[in-house]
Amino acid sequence: MSSQTKQESELARLIVDSLNLEDVEAGDIDPEALLFGDGLGLDSIDALEIALAISQKYGVQLKSEDEHMKETFRTLRSLNQFIQTHSSMARA
Amino acid sequence: MHANSNLVNRTPDQFIAWTRTGPLTVAQFARAADHVATKLPDRRFVLNLYANPVDYLLGFCASTLAGQCTLMPPNRLQKTLDDIRLDYPDSYLLGPGGSGGLDIRDCLADPAVADSGDLGLPPIPDSQLTAIAFTSGSTGLPSPNLKYWNTLREGTLSNVAMMLRNLEGPVNMVSTVPPQHMWGMENSVLLPLFSETAIAHQAPFYPQDVKEALQNIPAPRVLVSTPVHLAAIAGSGLDFEPVKRVLCATAPLSLSLAGAIESLFGGELLEVFGCTESGIIASRFRTREEEWTLADAFRLDVSSGQATISADHLPGEVRLQDMVEKTADQQFRWLGRHQDLVNIAGKRGSLVDLNRRLEQVPGVTDGVMFFPTDEHKRLAAMVVAPDLAPADIREALKRQVDPVFLPRPIVKVDELPRSASGKLTRKALLDLYQKVKPGAGAPS
Repeated sequence: MSSQTKQESELARLIVDSLNLEDVEAGDIDPEALLFGDGLGLDSIDALEIALAISQKYGVQLKSEDEHMKETFRTLRSLNQFIQTHSSMARA
Repeated sequence: MHANSNLVNRTPDQFIAWTRTGPLTVAQFARAADHVATKLPDRRFVLNLYANPVDYLLGFCASTLAGQCTLMPPNRLQKTLDDIRLDYPDSYLLGPGGSGGLDIRDCLADPAVADSGDLGLPPIPDSQLTAIAFTSGSTGLPSPNLKYWNTLREGTLSNVAMMLRNLEGPVNMVSTVPPQHMWGMENSVLLPLFSETAIAHQAPFYPQDVKEALQNIPAPRVLVSTPVHLAAIAGSGLDFEPVKRVLCATAPLSLSLAGAIESLFGGELLEVFGCTESGIIASRFRTREEEWTLADAFRLDVSSGQATISADHLPGEVRLQDMVEKTADQQFRWLGRHQDLVNIAGKRGSLVDLNRRLEQVPGVTDGVMFFPTDEHKRLAAMVVAPDLAPADIREALKRQVDPVFLPRPIVKVDELPRSASGKLTRKALLDLYQKVKPGAGAPS
């Protein structure tokens, strides 16, 4: 699997902690594996919990397009990219 | 002598929806629905999969005008849709990726679909089978609940009087509830047909989506949602446009969350009670009322602990899966759900059915799903499965049940503390769980 960047590791830790994913090691989450459905198997309740944790830690609000959770939330990597983009815009 | 009535009970120049390009009048909508009705595949049943409430409403009206019956699947799993289509082979999918082959938005933009003084739609017979809502039960197979037009009409008239009471004139509505869900259908689909409600096109999910959807409609605003979404909204730290009334259903809502929501939006929260079988039947203003008030159209009988609902417009009596105590003719207190029913994120499941599926996973010799505490939103599981990893068990279940019912965590044990007769008491279950749950052995 592709290795996690430092930011991705931090985000993986946040996901595991906020969702109490007891049988998952944050460091084992493949940054390019799907978060929802297959892959990590998260669902809609998780999406709301993660959104809350992300808003509190990074000050970024998640939004959906027409289909919920599709592109932004697809993988750990894409989620981190969204956060980094919107965090820097907030600082600009 | 057959009775019939209008599908769209509005005046032509009122607004029925807020689209991306602005408000849609009743007349424009009626013409579009009439037009789309002529383009639909000639089948008896339709699975309307639009997430956008305006598209869904247009599809629903067109299908109904064409004499078709809308199927409402309990979830979006491919297996569920496939199973329903096996039972209803004379059906098609309408929506993104569906075989309807038409873009509803093109129909709305069609210049032939112009304002006109007269709606001119054919009436719908009372006896027309308009929708089928599926609920899960202990047999594992979804049960069909047949909704004839007169039931939907009378139920909606009751809902208008109850949910929109004291709101004079037009209201503008945002809903976080999918229209395929009965609670979504009763609000975003049926209210605009029988009241001065204009429904927003968004299908908002995150608090930020809800904020933007509310910004895109004028006052007075009504927000339709569920406790899971309201909790996210209250926790978001965002501020929102004023909302005159928040309607909440599908699961119990705490007093503190209700108070937080009223402060956030500046309006009242009306909690609403019902089930797929009966539709919405009762309400209470959560921060100032303890007891539920039954709508006038319904009668409640409680005997030997079983609550039963009846109404002239319902095809039969409905036995509630809830335990209630009648405090007056049209008032009751809610005591809790019957043991088997679980409701997670607005989706209904049967513990008996979930446990059976768990035990049938190859390699599982015994297992149980349960809520570790009353505050838990999710089920946990303890499983006897010497040769399987928890991830394998989850994989096996994932194909058959909605994701919200997947247990977390799944803990392997050597055996479950059953009595000689095979019974498993909650106390024995929880005592074992305390010892084996993740983190149980960790030093403090």
